[in-house]
Amino acid sequence: MAKFQARKRDVTIPQASTSDIAFLLLLFFMVTTVFVQEKRFWVERDRWPVAENIERIPRNLTTTIYVMVDGTILIDDLPSRIETEEDRVVYTTLEKKKAENPDLNVCFRTDRDTKYGIMSDVMRQLQDANTLVVTFETQTKASGGKK
Amino acid sequence: MKVSRKRKGNAEIPTASTGDIAFLLIIFFMATTKFDVKEGIKLVLPKASDSESNTVSVTLTEKEMTRMQILGDGSLAINTLPARRYENSELEALIKAKQELNPKMLFKVITDREAKYSDMVNVLDRLKSLKVENISLSTN
Repeated sequence: MAKFQARKRDVTIPQASTSDIAFLLLLFFMVTTVFVQEKRFWVERDRWPVAENIERIPRNLTTTIYVMVDGTILIDDLPSRIETEEDRVVYTTLEKKKAENPDLNVCFRTDRDTKYGIMSDVMRQLQDANTLVVTFETQTKASGGKK
Repeated sequence: MKVSRKRKGNAEIPTASTGDIAFLLIIFFMATTKFDVKEGIKLVLPKASDSESNTVSVTLTEKEMTRMQILGDGSLAINTLPARRYENSELEALIKAKQELNPKMLFKVITDREAKYSDMVNVLDRLKSLKVENISLSTN
């Protein structure tokens, strides 16, 4: 009787397409990456107050208000001041933004030596615009912040 | 005379390493990508008081609310205690004691208009470090 011997099959994983997959992944990363470029940092990071217990907020939900030590307020890089009750720039701008994005979070980039009175005036206008979620942007000690 | 024909060489670009190069590029992008988030102390402001709305004024006792007033010189007046400067650890111990007295204690932070913004942030930071949830920030 003839002896049959089973022929061994080559067990290999095809690797020809790995480079294609890798390039597809690379293209995905390149296409989905968004470069965020601030026009100007009106209050530099080293002037922000220092805190340890911070929260992280995604940028797409936020709008930034800069408050400089001399009392200048910048929303969308437009400077303004609150000197009288009639100065309602914060209210009018934020009311529009709130209508566009109901989950709006207002981030303050305020100089640490700014007097609280200015912040209080800004926050009162935020309350009037029903924009109640605020974040006081801070730096950590690890990032070089000094008290 | 017999002319020998030149044998054609194989003109191929080796592509075996393209996968490795692509993966190296991916690793580079992944390692250098920084997710763009903002860092800070998040707080929800109270709604604006409206004379037409049905707001009810409630009187809170010292057992329910701790009043923290930050003065222009950076000192802090807690309830009826005289104003003075507190070390961070000292302030945290005081807040902890108030929390133990009443876990639902409301901390009302009142900051003078002349006080520094960083002093207010520091008090909020101390409150957040002890996971205080009931914080009220005065905007008057």
